[in-house]
Amino acid sequence: MLRINFWSGLAVVAFSVTLLIWIIPTFGGGGFSFGLPPQLIATIGAWIMLLSSGCLVILSSVSLVRSKEPLLSGVNFSEIWHQVWPFLYVLLFIILAIYLPLTWIAPLLIGGLLFILGEQRWHIYLICTLTPTAGLYILTVYLMRIGVV
Amino acid sequence: MPEFSVFYSAFATALSWESITVILGGVLLGYIVGVIPGLNRAVAIAIAIPLTFYMSPYAAISFLIGLSKGTAAGSAVSAILLNTPGESSSAATCLDGYPMARDGRPRTALKIGLLASVIGDLLATLLLIAVAIPFASVALKFGPYELAAILIFALVFIAGMAGGSFLKGMAAGGLGIVLGTVGMDPETGAMRLTFGYMELMEGVPILPLVIGTLALSEMFVQLDEYRRNKGQSAINLTDNQNDDLKWSEFKTTLPTIFKGTAIGAFVGALPGLGPSVGSFMSYGAAKRSAKNPDTFGKGDPRGIAASESADNAVIPASYIPLFGLGIPGSVSAALLVGAFMIHGITVGPLMLREQPEMLFSLFSGMIVASLLMLAIGWYGLRIFAKITNIPSHMVIPIVIFLCLAGIQVQGYGTFGLLVVFGFSILGFFLKKFDYSFVTFLVAFIVTPMLELNLRQSIILSGSDVAILLDRPIAAFFVVLTVILLVRFAWTGIQQRKKSLPNAD
Repeated sequence: MLRINFWSGLAVVAFSVTLLIWIIPTFGGGGFSFGLPPQLIATIGAWIMLLSSGCLVILSSVSLVRSKEPLLSGVNFSEIWHQVWPFLYVLLFIILAIYLPLTWIAPLLIGGLLFILGEQRWHIYLICTLTPTAGLYILTVYLMRIGVV
Repeated sequence: MPEFSVFYSAFATALSWESITVILGGVLLGYIVGVIPGLNRAVAIAIAIPLTFYMSPYAAISFLIGLSKGTAAGSAVSAILLNTPGESSSAATCLDGYPMARDGRPRTALKIGLLASVIGDLLATLLLIAVAIPFASVALKFGPYELAAILIFALVFIAGMAGGSFLKGMAAGGLGIVLGTVGMDPETGAMRLTFGYMELMEGVPILPLVIGTLALSEMFVQLDEYRRNKGQSAINLTDNQNDDLKWSEFKTTLPTIFKGTAIGAFVGALPGLGPSVGSFMSYGAAKRSAKNPDTFGKGDPRGIAASESADNAVIPASYIPLFGLGIPGSVSAALLVGAFMIHGITVGPLMLREQPEMLFSLFSGMIVASLLMLAIGWYGLRIFAKITNIPSHMVIPIVIFLCLAGIQVQGYGTFGLLVVFGFSILGFFLKKFDYSFVTFLVAFIVTPMLELNLRQSIILSGSDVAILLDRPIAAFFVVLTVILLVRFAWTGIQQRKKSLPNAD
């Protein structure tokens, strides 16, 4: 946990510094105001992030030194891959959804994941892919008929 | 105080067929979600919000409240039959529920859990109605100074009490504040942190944010956990004649249920603590006060009663700060604020003045939801026991699909899908690295309100801090916030010292 605190705190420090010196001054907006400039609240938020994560980094690094734990442990690529692939999988279908309607790609999205997770029964594929897809299709048609979509 | 006709009309609305159907749907869906391990209340509400888009505001909020209550009661089923709580708040129920089910009394355990849930929920709902209205009447007299001070106090309180590290809670809150300012500045009209995207003009859209950070990220976490825990099987309900709840046995659990309800209501009314704290506190209190504490953990019905009554009492009680002050004290309350916003309603004390009928209809609907929860749980016991066997590898792909479909149906398009994806990464890291999610979400939701009140305070006072001397309530909360900050920091340092093995 100490190592997680240290590295996650460091990432938050880096992000909040980026917010304070680049993102908020450049994209935070400007203009005349009475008492509360447009960037003020965001700047306060970023300072809270910086101070809290800064304290977290200092305290966890002191604890790491005292407990003589190393700053880095061996990287387990298999573990990282197991956590990353679902994101890539969903991102792939989001990219596909730019070009194709979701009702077309839904069976592939659900069926593909069922396959990866080891499902072998064909009727489960049928139920799990067709029911939600049909539901979305009916809802979309209904919303189109009442003029919402 | 509203007239009697408002109360009458509110109850008539809540007891109409349309209302009962919507609440029934919400409680039923909530029950099913609660029963399935891996799906939790936040995921269910996040996914259900798009479904409520085309409902009337009352129907939408009643549906979501019914859903929220249903998940709390349903989570006991998987805790008892599978030893895996549907919600983390039902973890204490596993301690006695699962041993009791393993000893051949699953039906009795489920019925004790259900009755404790319903009593806890109903009593806490009545408490909410009794407390929120006077609370809101007082809050209506508050000006911008008081509201700004209370909001800052609430954020610090939630960061400290939401579990985990206070520093991480504050960092998450800071990020919520930054994201809460995105969009057009109401005073200058300047675009803030929109990066040229017109879609961000009105702020970060709440629906993609909650679906991404709560639902989609949770599915990624579940996928990781599925790899580690495959192949659990639930205890089945049998037709064993000896396995049924008798009045004499239930009577022994009643004092525990009332005590659990009181603890749950107290914990729920404090922002940030959540139902897990309530259920474990109640379980601990029941065990300590028992004459034979050794039976706890071995299938004692009082253990189930203590945990479930407190767990369910937390939900209505957590709406006290929401309806009384407009401050969401839990993730589900924060999600409700989002649903209110989508339907153009500002939740908080102003509802008492501007929409009293709506407020009382919701309260009446909550009582109806409690009673429906009893009926659904009692008669659906066998079906829900079967649902426990649905493996998570079938649920996860469908929920991922529902996350994306919910965004598309709302017309957010590709931008919305990418926002959902971005927030799912953020949510994943918040969960993995134990940064307080509730602080992040509450900070994001209350920031526009905080900014408005802060701006009014600065303009009215001419930036003179001495104005606080004339506003004792605001000054009190400012002082309390400073004391809390010092207290949380001190506690954090003490805990850190204790956790170090080599520390002197």
